[in-house]
Amino acid sequence: MAEAVKEKILAVATITCTIDGQQITVPKGTSVFYAARQIGIVIPAFCNHDKLKPVGACRMCYVEIEKMPKLQVSCATTATDGMVVSTNSQQVREGRKAVIEFTLINHPLDCPTCDKGGECDLQDLTFSHGYDDSRFGFNKMRFIEEEKRDTFDDLKIGPEIVLNRNRCILCYKCVRANKEAFGEYDIGAFERGDLTEINATPGGEVSNPFSGNLVEICPVGALTNSDWRYKIRVWLTKTVPSICNFSGSGTNITFYKEDHKNFVYRVTARCNDAIDDGWLSDITRYGYQIVNSESRLKTPLIKKGGKQVKASWDQALAVIKKHMGEIKDQSGGVCIGGLISPSLDNASLYSFSKLFRTIFKSNNIDFRGDYRYLPSVTDSPFTIAASQPFSIADIEKSDVIITFGTDLIREHHNEYLKIRRAVNFFEATAYSVNPYAVKTADIAKSEMVYSPGTDELVINGICLAAIEKKLVDSSAAAKLKPKISKLSLSELTKQTGLGKEQFKELAEAISSAKKITFIVGEIVARSLERDKICAALSNLNKLFGVQDKGQLAVLSRYANSKGAQKLGLSATPYEIVKAELKKIWGEYPDCQPRNTDSMINLMKKEEIKGFITVGTNPMRLYPDRGFASEGLEHVDFLVACDMFETETTELADVVLPLCSWAEYDGDYINLEGKVQTGKQAIKPKYEAKAAFEIMELIASQSGVKLFENEQSRNEEIEQLLSLNSVLPWPDDFLEIDYDKKSSRDDYPVPLFICDDPHHSGHLTEKSPSLLNFSDSAYVELSKGMAAKIGVADGEPVRVESPVGKIVVPAKISRVLNSDVAIIPRNFSSTQTTSLLMRKKRVDSVKLTRVEE
Amino acid sequence: MTFYSPVVTNAKEIAGHEKLHLFEYVEDEKQYQLKRYLEHGGYAAWKTVLGKMKPEEVIEEVKKSGLRGRGGAGFPTGMKWSFVPKDSPKVRYLLCNADESEPGTCKDRVLMERDPHVVIEGMAIGAYAIGCHLMFCYIRGEFHHSIERIEKAMEEAYSKGHLGKNIYGSGYDLEMIVHTGAGAYMCGEETGLINSIEGEKGMARIRPPFPAIEGLWECPTIVNNVESLAAVPHIINRGADWYRSMGTEKSAGTKLFSLSGHINRPGNYEVELGFSLQKLIYDANYGNGISDGKKLKAVIPGGVSTPFLTPDKVDVPLDYESLTEAGSMLGSGGVIVLHEDTCIVWTILKLIKFFRHESCGKCTPCREGTGWLEQIIQKIEDGRGGPDDLEKLDSICGNILGRTICPLGDAAVMPIQSTLKHWRDEWQYHIEHKKCLVNQNFGF
Ligand SMILES: Cc1cc2nc3c(=O)[nH]c(=O)nc-3n(C[C@H](O)[C@H](O)[C@H](O)COP(=O)(O)O)c2cc1C
Ligand code: SF4
Ligand code: SF4
Ligand code: FES
Repeated sequence: MAEAVKEKILAVATITCTIDGQQITVPKGTSVFYAARQIGIVIPAFCNHDKLKPVGACRMCYVEIEKMPKLQVSCATTATDGMVVSTNSQQVREGRKAVIEFTLINHPLDCPTCDKGGECDLQDLTFSHGYDDSRFGFNKMRFIEEEKRDTFDDLKIGPEIVLNRNRCILCYKCVRANKEAFGEYDIGAFERGDLTEINATPGGEVSNPFSGNLVEICPVGALTNSDWRYKIRVWLTKTVPSICNFSGSGTNITFYKEDHKNFVYRVTARCNDAIDDGWLSDITRYGYQIVNSESRLKTPLIKKGGKQVKASWDQALAVIKKHMGEIKDQSGGVCIGGLISPSLDNASLYSFSKLFRTIFKSNNIDFRGDYRYLPSVTDSPFTIAASQPFSIADIEKSDVIITFGTDLIREHHNEYLKIRRAVNFFEATAYSVNPYAVKTADIAKSEMVYSPGTDELVINGICLAAIEKKLVDSSAAAKLKPKISKLSLSELTKQTGLGKEQFKELAEAISSAKKITFIVGEIVARSLERDKICAALSNLNKLFGVQDKGQLAVLSRYANSKGAQKLGLSATPYEIVKAELKKIWGEYPDCQPRNTDSMINLMKKEEIKGFITVGTNPMRLYPDRGFASEGLEHVDFLVACDMFETETTELADVVLPLCSWAEYDGDYINLEGKVQTGKQAIKPKYEAKAAFEIMELIASQSGVKLFENEQSRNEEIEQLLSLNSVLPWPDDFLEIDYDKKSSRDDYPVPLFICDDPHHSGHLTEKSPSLLNFSDSAYVELSKGMAAKIGVADGEPVRVESPVGKIVVPAKISRVLNSDVAIIPRNFSSTQTTSLLMRKKRVDSVKLTRVEE
Repeated sequence: MTFYSPVVTNAKEIAGHEKLHLFEYVEDEKQYQLKRYLEHGGYAAWKTVLGKMKPEEVIEEVKKSGLRGRGGAGFPTGMKWSFVPKDSPKVRYLLCNADESEPGTCKDRVLMERDPHVVIEGMAIGAYAIGCHLMFCYIRGEFHHSIERIEKAMEEAYSKGHLGKNIYGSGYDLEMIVHTGAGAYMCGEETGLINSIEGEKGMARIRPPFPAIEGLWECPTIVNNVESLAAVPHIINRGADWYRSMGTEKSAGTKLFSLSGHINRPGNYEVELGFSLQKLIYDANYGNGISDGKKLKAVIPGGVSTPFLTPDKVDVPLDYESLTEAGSMLGSGGVIVLHEDTCIVWTILKLIKFFRHESCGKCTPCREGTGWLEQIIQKIEDGRGGPDDLEKLDSICGNILGRTICPLGDAAVMPIQSTLKHWRDEWQYHIEHKKCLVNQNFGF
């Protein structure tokens, strides 16, 4: 079925029609509107949107079609063989004029005070297609807001969005995008006829994680946001193409900047069909505000008498030279370690690696500061799974999509939307398999919620069900069965909480898929047992031949995680990368590899004495705050580079102000392995420098240059990127051992620390707009869970783990339906990671109501 | 009598008539009960269909009967059913359109209140014909009594096995839901109705895709009017040929007409299609002439969505073709009679107020245009009309006609256009003399 639909849309059969005298052949199913566009004829339109279903509401896109007496709307008329279309006949022009006239009769024409002025479809199309005068002699209909001081009849309908109903031309794009693309229902149309109004759903506000798009697609100034409105006129800004820095997808964006003020005014989409379809998450849209933040670190700081004081770059570098030099001379470079953010560009990551490995001769580096206990081996099943190829565009070409161990709306907004599109527009069937209920499930055929910590058992269950139902090759089945059948299917159902039917359903879906997308997410990547789970996935992949008919990968999470993998930014890079580095540098430190976890351990043992963090904040992000802080406090000499003061910079001996990604040209590799460039929008703010510059400066203190010049640096990077970095899966099926679940009676509720849907990592709390959506931690609970502990929405809850305790308000979830707790990690005001233990598979907590 | 809505009918005439059937038991106080319905041969057609007929045969029979939709558009019912894709794996829905909101039309309501089982039986047969296992009856929210009667009848039908699982042991399951409207005329438009059931605002959807291909929840859906469905059991019981033997060549069968306005005997009458409008208005068994002995000024033959007829056109057969030829439409059969003292401007103002209020607001010409028209017409009615107003009305109507998503836009302007054509003098008079041409001394 899905195939049939896809054929219709993705070509194969074609038709030939004539538009304005030109013949054109287009795929069957193409609308006249898009057929015309293919020969460069742009038909004016208000309500049509490339990524939404046509509604034919505005009537602006009229064309005349031979043999049809009435004007037809081209957006909703399918081109057919032999059709003869005129897009600019007398009748068409008059029809359009009439539509513009109707549209304007109740439009306020307040262009001088309207923020959309200069980029308004109505303005533009009135100029090009309308009348110069008006025949309407009556008072315009007007919605008047109660707030009398509001000169412009503005109505705030969400944390960011301001609505002016008078300007609305009722194209319904906002309502449609919300429903069709985002699966959200917080904006709607109400009343009838010319009283029709767009508004937030009664009693609610427009606050979904994609709400910013509604402002962007509004053709007029009816929806504006407080981010941009009344700050500057669009024609005074310049645009710069860039890439989102808050997600792994590499969403394409445009910066709007003004040079005199050296200020970024907004971010809009830069539609790239292969990645983002032109939709941005609010994080992507409003996250840029951190660039302009007044609280940026402005100068280097050095610690004097226990206090950090302002210093010049020279002073700071001198201190670094002195202390790092001493450590290196007295204890050796292996006593220096470093942690870098995977959101930084290739040049920065590579310079960091080269600084450590060639100058300090240390191999103690990592980019995974928020993953607990990572063993130091180079080709573990997890590493393999994370290196697998993935194509975002292939999601919508798949007929079966399985999301496993991922809460997409908190991890991968872009892929979340792609899956929705695949289901809503291309009839894909989705399955959500996660240890707690997730929002993605509303479009899934089935949602399977399994017991936390039984991830690999779920995978085994799917394999066993397939074997039992003879859905897979029998010789493969015979080989795999002994390795995983220590637990029978019925035992697995007991452990995982899933039914046999569910295992069977998944097995059938995978085996019957023509093209499959199997997404593995952060629940797996962050798990202590990530290798075991990925071993099970390796078996599954082999058993079903998943990759032979689609894709299976652990998606990389941050803007340049893939770059960090490919450039060898962990202590245990791929062998092929290590070999290449040796070749380029003529050397490679020959010491024990130390990943984040073991580095922190060594700090405690005072074997790591000097440490550099770049753009990351292990104190907040490492999933065991007690452990991280004990380590970092032991370090003799800590250098922290960041855009802001953080829990980590507070401990540092030297703090260096870091540039944002808007302040220099940088290359980033998205989760598909696609290299994209984010162009510099503004000059570095204050005295901030890019990380690659800082690395070069630190190197220069030893009298060495990391690179001859930019070009040689880029060549070295190129060389590494040209390597094939997809690791092969093991040849054989892997044995999955089974350990009994430990009981957790004292701390009965599984805890998941993740991102708030409006935040990412530790930086976005500096974006005022994002804070308007969500500004402090909470514990998200199902209705049932809240009832059990007797709290209502917003009431304080004490959350206790064996190692920590916090008090946060309860947030009753609309999605969760089991006894789990979810707490965001994005707010400095709550030490959420203090609840976590690095060697625990499933963190769990005790929840109690706080008595007043 | 214990009827909820007393209304004059021609039941007596029908009782002695061998063919008229929709109103055969309309004056029977107990007909709404299952027991009486069964005594009158109720559910026999449903049994026949389930026991002996394939869905295609049902469709074929209805096609052959020549039954055309009674909701307004007159589309052949059997043909509509045949549009449901045979090979679609999706579920199908049958929706009975009982939103009857067209001013001047009140026939579905009488059927639902007095003979609810025939509506359900017709729905069931239609559902079977298209392979539907869940059907909806969407009833206008203000029709409390219809809702009560249909719900009661549905419960009875369920309890006696006429609905539900494995009906009459045939293996066929059929469930029914009664869904009530919330006061929007637009929810009677088939795509508005579908949106309303989905929980959306009652707004029209663009076609194609037609509901028969992609309707309720994107599944094949058939929407049929109450009266169309009520005719179906009779067609099954007595055969397509019998049905065809009534009415005209292209307009087979009988039709209910709701007669209202300046008429001596307003009421609901079942007549064969092709019946004379003249007779319907003047014959003592029907309208019995214009009230107060006045002269006829105009007739709106098919509900307020249809163009006005001038008195010289009244001698016309009531069938789809003849009315179109006469410059109007059969519509839903709501015949409104206006006598000589009626001001045309005033009448049109009433109508445009209705359409402006009921425009769903989806497409620009209707949403904005109806409001603009109302303001101009109000101005003229108030004696503030200007010399270019009529031309403006012509132009605005022209910019709406044929340019909208659903027929409501056309419905709003066609009556205006017909009066601008036939009674232009009167409009002109109103503008120049700032008052009505006629001495109107009644109010509705
Ligand atoms: C504005 C508008 C209102 C309508 N209202 C009704 C209604 O109340 N009842 C009805 O049966 N059809 C109504 N219709 C017609 C329906 O759209 C549809 O054509 C009809 O229900 C189909 O049934 P039929 O084929 O049995 O006539 C309306 C159409 C429009 C444009
Ligand atoms: S608010 Fe903007 S996007 Fe929404 S319907 Fe109105 S004009 Fe269209
Ligand atoms: S014609 Fe009127 S009622 Fe019909 S869709 Fe357009 S606005 Fe809605
Ligand atoms: S763009 Fe086609 S109707 Fe609006």
